[in-house]
Amino acid sequence: MSILHEWNALQTRRRFLGKGANALGAAALTSLLGRSLAHAAPGAISTQHPPKAKRVIYLHMVGGPAQMDLFDYKPKMKEMYDKDLPDSIRKGQRLTTMTSGQARFPIAPSKYNFSQFGQCGMWLNSDLLPNLGKHADEICWMRSLNTEAINHEPAICAMQTGNQITGRPCLGSWASYGLGSENENLPNFVVLIATPTNRDQEQAISSRLWSSGYLPGEHAGVSFRSKGDPILFINNPPGVPDDLRKQTIDGINQLNRLNYETVGDPETHTRIKQYEMAFRMQASVPELTDLTKEPEHVFKLYGEEARKRGSFANSVLMARRLVERGVRFVQIYHNNWDHHANVNGRMPSQCKDIDQPCHALIEDLKQRGMFDDTLIVWGGEFGRTIYSQGGLSRENYGRDHHPRCFSMWMAGGGAKGGRIYGETDEFSYNIVKDPLPINDFHATVLHLLGYDHERFTFKYQGLDQKLTGVLPTKVVKALIS
Amino acid sequence: MTTSATRERPPHPPFNQMRQPLALLLLAASLGAAEVVPEKIVFNRDIRPILADKCFHCHGPDPGTRKAGLRLDTEAGFFVAAESGDAPVVKGDAAKSPLYQRLITQDKDDHMPPPESHKELKEHEIALLKAWIAQGAPWQPHWSLVAPQAAPLPRTSDDAWAKQPIDRFIRAKLDAVGLKPAPEADAATLIRRVSLDVTGLPPSPALLAKHLPKDAGRLSDAQLSALVDELMALPAYGEHRARYWLDAARYADSHGLHFDAYREMWPYRDWVVKAFNRNQPFDQFTVEQLAGDLLPNPTEDQRVATGLQRCNPTTNEGGTIVEENLANYAADRVQTLGWVYLGLTTNCAQCHDHKFDPFSQKDFYSMAAFFRNTTQGGLDGNVKDGRGPVIYLPSDADRPRWNALPAEIAKGNEQLAAARKLGTPLFEKWIATAKPADLDADIPAKDLVARLALNEGKGLPAGTTAAGDPVTWNKAGKTGPAPVFKKGSHLVVGDAGDFGTRQAFSAAAWIKADKVEGTGTIVARMDDPKAAQGWSFFQSGRNLGVYIISKWPSDAIKVVTTRNAVNTAYQHVLMTYDGSGKAAGVKIYVNGALAETRGEVDTLKTASKAATPTRIGQRSLSEPFHGSIQDVFLYSRALEPGEVTTLSKLGTLRQSLAGKPNAQQRDALREHFLLNRHEPFRLASNAVARLTAEQTMIRARSPLTHVQEEKMDSPAMANVLVRGAYDKKGDAVPAEIPSALGKLPADAPRNRLGLARWIVSEANPLTARVTVNRMWQELFGTGLVRTSEDFGIMGSPPSHPELLDWLAIDFRTHGWDVKRFYRQLLTSATYRQAALTTKEKIEKDRDNALLSRGPRFRMDAEMLRDQALAVSGTLSPRMGGPGTKPYQPENIWEVVGVGIQVYRPDTGENLYRRSLYNYWRRMAPPASLDLFNAPSREVSCVRRDRTNTPLQALVMLNDPQYVEASRILAQHTLLAAGDDLARLDAAARRVLCRPLKPAETAILTGSLAKLRAHYVAQPADAAALLGIGDAKADESLPKPELAAWTMVCNQLLNLDEILNK
Repeated sequence: MSILHEWNALQTRRRFLGKGANALGAAALTSLLGRSLAHAAPGAISTQHPPKAKRVIYLHMVGGPAQMDLFDYKPKMKEMYDKDLPDSIRKGQRLTTMTSGQARFPIAPSKYNFSQFGQCGMWLNSDLLPNLGKHADEICWMRSLNTEAINHEPAICAMQTGNQITGRPCLGSWASYGLGSENENLPNFVVLIATPTNRDQEQAISSRLWSSGYLPGEHAGVSFRSKGDPILFINNPPGVPDDLRKQTIDGINQLNRLNYETVGDPETHTRIKQYEMAFRMQASVPELTDLTKEPEHVFKLYGEEARKRGSFANSVLMARRLVERGVRFVQIYHNNWDHHANVNGRMPSQCKDIDQPCHALIEDLKQRGMFDDTLIVWGGEFGRTIYSQGGLSRENYGRDHHPRCFSMWMAGGGAKGGRIYGETDEFSYNIVKDPLPINDFHATVLHLLGYDHERFTFKYQGLDQKLTGVLPTKVVKALIS
Repeated sequence: MTTSATRERPPHPPFNQMRQPLALLLLAASLGAAEVVPEKIVFNRDIRPILADKCFHCHGPDPGTRKAGLRLDTEAGFFVAAESGDAPVVKGDAAKSPLYQRLITQDKDDHMPPPESHKELKEHEIALLKAWIAQGAPWQPHWSLVAPQAAPLPRTSDDAWAKQPIDRFIRAKLDAVGLKPAPEADAATLIRRVSLDVTGLPPSPALLAKHLPKDAGRLSDAQLSALVDELMALPAYGEHRARYWLDAARYADSHGLHFDAYREMWPYRDWVVKAFNRNQPFDQFTVEQLAGDLLPNPTEDQRVATGLQRCNPTTNEGGTIVEENLANYAADRVQTLGWVYLGLTTNCAQCHDHKFDPFSQKDFYSMAAFFRNTTQGGLDGNVKDGRGPVIYLPSDADRPRWNALPAEIAKGNEQLAAARKLGTPLFEKWIATAKPADLDADIPAKDLVARLALNEGKGLPAGTTAAGDPVTWNKAGKTGPAPVFKKGSHLVVGDAGDFGTRQAFSAAAWIKADKVEGTGTIVARMDDPKAAQGWSFFQSGRNLGVYIISKWPSDAIKVVTTRNAVNTAYQHVLMTYDGSGKAAGVKIYVNGALAETRGEVDTLKTASKAATPTRIGQRSLSEPFHGSIQDVFLYSRALEPGEVTTLSKLGTLRQSLAGKPNAQQRDALREHFLLNRHEPFRLASNAVARLTAEQTMIRARSPLTHVQEEKMDSPAMANVLVRGAYDKKGDAVPAEIPSALGKLPADAPRNRLGLARWIVSEANPLTARVTVNRMWQELFGTGLVRTSEDFGIMGSPPSHPELLDWLAIDFRTHGWDVKRFYRQLLTSATYRQAALTTKEKIEKDRDNALLSRGPRFRMDAEMLRDQALAVSGTLSPRMGGPGTKPYQPENIWEVVGVGIQVYRPDTGENLYRRSLYNYWRRMAPPASLDLFNAPSREVSCVRRDRTNTPLQALVMLNDPQYVEASRILAQHTLLAAGDDLARLDAAARRVLCRPLKPAETAILTGSLAKLRAHYVAQPADAAALLGIGDAKADESLPKPELAAWTMVCNQLLNLDEILNK
């Protein structure tokens, strides 16, 4: 054990606070730490009803997975192969400029086999999602998500922040803002970018998606990186071992205490605290990211890919380790779901990336007794069209963006297992039952975290800003166990 | 994880109760006995904030959400009968006023606010409303929407303390809460503060020595004044001011969305720096940026200035709709204008009328109208010119030709037209009988050394002698079946194409690349093992290139196209080389048009010839092409432009002639005929082509910048977009200023120029206030109005309203003189105070809003980096130019955007340039700056966050930029004579601008001893530490010693005193 880890192990929170309190009054310290001593989760905003989920792992499938190839079974389409999408279904709805010029909109039935899973009888792509199917009765299936946005940038933005216009805080920032921290050594909200096996048609993602918008900057997601330092600048420069780092920080803090005695600026004390925390982060992150201590059966569960840094399986395993250590919100982005062409060539590898790891995550959390209060969310930013973009054969086709309906699922954390919510028409084009706008979905997630979306607000530009925006929004009780 | 000084609190009681009790207590204290109802109620101070928070949502300016027809944001609303029949307020009589009664009633149905609003008035607030009605309910318009009023300077307890008029206002407020100002800061501290505030850099040792009073006393007025003047004359002044402005302007070096590729915009950034340095009056600065292009005979600089409006993020995402993008771009401009000039959250009215401020949705689109009548397109092409409008800024050397060319080209075109007229009867005669095969006679035959059709569809194609792996054939080629090349497959031509490095030649082909990201050789004669000797015509991603090499890279030419020449359709590509041995002698044509190119390597000296056969699809061993290549021509001379046109068009012309040519095809055939068979036309055409090529090449090597350009044939107007949706067009509205602020003068142009002049006119109550507030914020950390972007009803009220008005009037009436304004602040007694905090001040003025002490706050990201470079003596003084790329951790750029862009750090001087010049990619702004709250520049930012996080500590401790700066500072320290104590003191003076105190010396000496012991015992650690950074460590210094001092200097750079100004 390195001296850093030893030191870290010794530093209980009580000791840390006690040390600070010697230098300042306890009340002032409270203010400096930005939290109430009496409160369990530092910095938290009290929930408005008992929460069902204490933490979230959000798996965002960048590009927009094709719902009718995975979750939204449309058997009648087999007979409609290469027939035109009827105008009565399309209803002149907005198309992207990628297909709005197409002479025809020929229907591309899913080439995959579907079967029913679980007591709930959820129809799933049984070729590509066999492992996920094992949890059909623990998963809350949603087939009627819909969005206003038709292109990636605004759509991901809307999915993450509730608004197509950039600059709002994302769901993870809201969760961090509300739930506060359970771990002194790690950030509250962590982002992982998983590298898909196939990288043919990746879409843009950027740090704006995990920015804190108008919420205080500390609620921005901290990106754990799959190359280089896992957290920016977390590693000492070469030639600076841990004990020397501790000495230098001690020296800096001593000098800063002298400065505080002269000048009296409370921010100086915050600075001292942050240097101490930086040191603790340096101590805890190597242990966090070191997967070698994970037993073999874990890799059996998640698959060998989990050993490969930056893979989806690896990211999901990291997510479990993060939430285990008190991180409140882990966001994983998995790219390459934008299948304008060659569904046949791409979908299998996309599903292979996620099928076993999702199953493993549910199993693993269950084994650790964390499934019931950890909410897992899976979904993209929009759906895809039943009609083919470009060439069509029985075996291969492409699909354009489709905002009118798409599928997502969630599990654990109070999500209603075995629920199949929402229905689309035979073409998976329009919703015929229980539409689920993004804002309602967000309201429901906040509800699971213990917050009333109407009252969970932040004052900015004079308005009580909220994740769910200004339009009428409701919590969907049917999704809650 | 962190605490932030500026953290805002959620408003609702259930949340507030959970917040820090101390903070609440302090908040109450700083407001001054909040629970007492003041003797004289002031509507703007006491009443409107309650109404705005609790009532405006349903009874405010937005008719969409207004209930019962009642509005409380206008004076009439209180006193005129509402739908219910009664006026809400009876002056002087709360008991008879329904407004008051509805607040206190126990009847749940009548009680206001209703429970579903989740709003509730506190007892104290109800008492205030009662008292206000009792006092006759005096109403006031919102403070910021009426013109600033000149107030007399207040009397204070000690008028002699004041050095500037502003001090009287500050002192009066301190008197009111019973605080005394802090004593004046000592000279060294003040010099450091002034230097940082004026130039963004710490004082140089020379400057410090020059201005430190010899008697170790405080700076006299004259001494301070001289210091300020000296600093303001430095170019660094403009750089520092520009940095704040560039946040507001959302300046960046990339488009912002989707690919987030390079956008060339830096001449605008440099214009801003220059504008501050020449102290351009702020009103001119404004008019030029908003409407420079509409000024009479605008200068180039005035057009560059309009870049402010082109800094908004743009996209080229496939599938996006041009009209929607243009609506977004205009909305961004209205938002920016609102925050930067008006202090109004205009953006709130994009989808509906503003909920609080008198700013309607119609007002929003009337403002948008000013920005919609422009020539900008809706897609940026992911290219550096964003598909225009841009202007080019040629170097001084290129200027004469650049200026002369348009006239020469016009004249050439006249001659061309005359020749066309002369030759047209000949063409008419020819086309009457012409056959497609006749055109083949026009293929340039002189010096043709090889022609390979590559359309056999099987076997070894004619003209080739051997092949690598067999090529496959695609039936649908450009001219019959086309060979498909991949790794391993290539065709050997043999001796044809045996061109030396000093010999003119040309190569042409039809190509179809598999991928725009691909690389590969089209045709080459290049000997890989022999330092790549020979020549090659190749695809490199989206661009084409030519190598002519004797020895790579010391004796070679490399020329590449600069503007995404390659797509995945069939393209005719052609290169010519004049044998001059210069990069300028190479030209590349795509589909017959000359491409803009850049000479990346231009070192050719030796004449040589490769000893390997000419190949198609590969060099001797490497760089295989992926895709199809057909119809290859090789010439042993540089083709004329007209010949290039002929080769590229012939296929199409043949098809036209085979059918019945339409008018357009006929025109093309005529041009071809004249070019090949009518000498006067050929001469004129080649002359014009040469001139155009010259122009193209100057353009290719000149910086460009995005400008705003008005459509001159249509009036500025916009449609109201229902709920902000681009495709739901409502009423058409003309360009107009917000109705609550009046109307454009009748004689003003109804375009951006009219807007710009109004913005800086006396008729506008906002711009001067908003501007002085922002400048105040730069120096004091917080504006007099804390919400610098929002002077509306929901913004913070000014801490010193009279002072704000006084400053606004003073600034405007003194010609918007920016330097004068800062000088006034910098020489004030308020500014000169020491940053000493006492318990009493923490209680009464926690955030220093009352200026009870000198400003002390953590510096912005760029200042911290620049400071480290400055104190280590590595800061480059070079100004302007393209964005620089200092150290950055790996994989910052790669994970964002579409496609993979790799960040390649610069080497040498560019690593040490001011942070202002850092290449700013919006999706991944410079990582170490980002962690210190630098904005992404995706939207305008007039007020940065200022957090204090552990991630920032990690930057200062571990970022190579800071480790290297520490080491170089250590080198300077060790190269000076003296013992440890003298050296510690010298380093401290350089960094802190003051000598060390004994207690500090003791701590640092202790550190040094431990560090020295470690590095003496562990020389490998010392070597590793000293290896960090591009600048090599001084070999003359003992490694363990330098390593130990490096760490000590890093400690100094991490001190709170250094992180704060």
